[in-house]
Amino acid sequence: MNLKLMKTLLWRETWEHRGLIWAPLITAAVIVLTALLSTNFTGSVQFDLDGKERELFATLSTDFSHQRQLFAVWLGALVIPQMIVAMIVLVFYALDSLYNERKDRSILFWKSMPVSDAETVGSKLVTALLVVPLWVWIVSMIASLAVFAIVSLKLGGTPLAPLATFHTGTWLVLQLTMLQNVLVAALWYAPVVVYLLLMSVYAKRSPFLWAVLPPVLLIIFEEVAFNTSMIAGFISNRLFGFFRELDLHISSEDGSSSASMMQEIARSYEQLGTLDMLATTDLWLGVALAIVGFFVVVRLRRWRDDA
Amino acid sequence: MGAVIHARDVRKRYSHSTLALDGLNFDVAAGRIVGLMGPNGAGKTTALKAILGLTPFEGELQVLGHDPRTARDSLMKDVCFIADVAVLPKWLRVDHALDYVAGVHPKFDRARADEVLSHTDIKRKSKVGELSKGMITQLHLALIMAIDAKLLVLDEPTLGLDLLYRRSFYETLLNDYFDHERTILVTTHQVEEVENLLTDVLFISHGKIVLDSTVDALPSRFLQLVTSSDHVAAARALGPVYQREVFGRHAFVFDISKGGSPTADELTAWGEVRTPSISDLFVALMNGGQEGTR
Repeated sequence: MNLKLMKTLLWRETWEHRGLIWAPLITAAVIVLTALLSTNFTGSVQFDLDGKERELFATLSTDFSHQRQLFAVWLGALVIPQMIVAMIVLVFYALDSLYNERKDRSILFWKSMPVSDAETVGSKLVTALLVVPLWVWIVSMIASLAVFAIVSLKLGGTPLAPLATFHTGTWLVLQLTMLQNVLVAALWYAPVVVYLLLMSVYAKRSPFLWAVLPPVLLIIFEEVAFNTSMIAGFISNRLFGFFRELDLHISSEDGSSSASMMQEIARSYEQLGTLDMLATTDLWLGVALAIVGFFVVVRLRRWRDDA
Repeated sequence: MGAVIHARDVRKRYSHSTLALDGLNFDVAAGRIVGLMGPNGAGKTTALKAILGLTPFEGELQVLGHDPRTARDSLMKDVCFIADVAVLPKWLRVDHALDYVAGVHPKFDRARADEVLSHTDIKRKSKVGELSKGMITQLHLALIMAIDAKLLVLDEPTLGLDLLYRRSFYETLLNDYFDHERTILVTTHQVEEVENLLTDVLFISHGKIVLDSTVDALPSRFLQLVTSSDHVAAARALGPVYQREVFGRHAFVFDISKGGSPTADELTAWGEVRTPSISDLFVALMNGGQEGTR
């Protein structure tokens, strides 16, 4: 594959879909702005902490390993809104990507260039699975630094100060873990994106309905006919299974001790990585399906003749 | 040098209707400007789509020695096409259009495209959606003219443009692009517009080629007799392929290559004889089989 060509094709995607670039930036700006607005710099901040919480933060101020874990978890949690926004943007991107060019007949221009259908479809797949997620990764990395700067200005000298200690090593490990998650997610979500591309290249109109209706109808049919929900389970496993691995729940509302909360947090931190997903059949079955689907999409685009 | 396009018994049927291409046979040599002409629905666009590998078909078709069904990707390095007008997407910015073609086309000369564009009012930061139809065509032409292709295919390239843009489109093409080595295949149903440009004509009707000739060979094949109403019966008796009446004068077109057809000398006895224009021939042959009617 020609590198200059692929670079051009990927730029092309961002020209058509400005939102791919802007949505992560705007989300990051909103996060930073929220941190900024929820903070006042007058220094007269009051914290109403009960005994248990005071105890917790007192422990934290000397317990650096738990401090690091907490640091990682709250910085990691900042990525969640970024991921949700990026996913919504990417779903619509994938559905539009092979449909709009037929609707406005620009496919006749793209096809007048020496670019194969595999290269074109490939550029859209790479955009959805790698370019945008990596862009989100970079943007959220910078946003995390900005938010940290704001928070540390705010919390310095308060009982919550332990939260505002910057752990460079932890921060770096966290960023690398996120990068690793992006790469594993690319494999995990490949069949989903290929499915959306398939509907995009196939639908005569409304690719969104084409993408949503078949699974919904199948789920309803299965419920009614067999009173089971295997299809629903299968789909939700593919859509949300990745996040089950990436468990960020910190549940301690039930008044558990600070020690058990620490354990909870520690566990979450360890679970931030998703490398062990690479050992599952599920993931590689999905990749195999995606490869087959990719060639179907390429073939459909090659011979579709209604522009 | 072999034929740029070599078509033998090319057939194409759309699932629901009749044959769109009903056994096309023709060759296009290098360095020609060929007009593929026919009424709407005659199969012009389908023929082009087959040549460009955009649609499946049956039969034998070689474009620059490649089968467009299997070798489309490499073929497109040497073939350019402007399909209709305004297929450039609205969201594309002019400078990005240049970046794009420069990035994907190995035979694109960006300086040349910049030069062609500098003669227009098109701004680099404009989006295609902000340009007039005429300007979009200028932009597309600038992109195409900067590509060193062997075959340029144009499908109704000036449809919907006003006269000034139409004329300058073909002038630019002829003066600044065509170099007698490149081959241009153009379809149109506005025959008058291209007739002074063509070296060859291919008439297509109902998916079949009904005339395949160089423009130079037309005078030795077709004659037009213009005469007064007094000689209508006599002229009709000579077996014209077409006749029409304009301002009381009658024009008859004869195919003198057919056996038993009149010679030029015989026709001169009845009135003024000349070579019919391509438009006249187009009308004559597209109404084929309706001799003696108006």
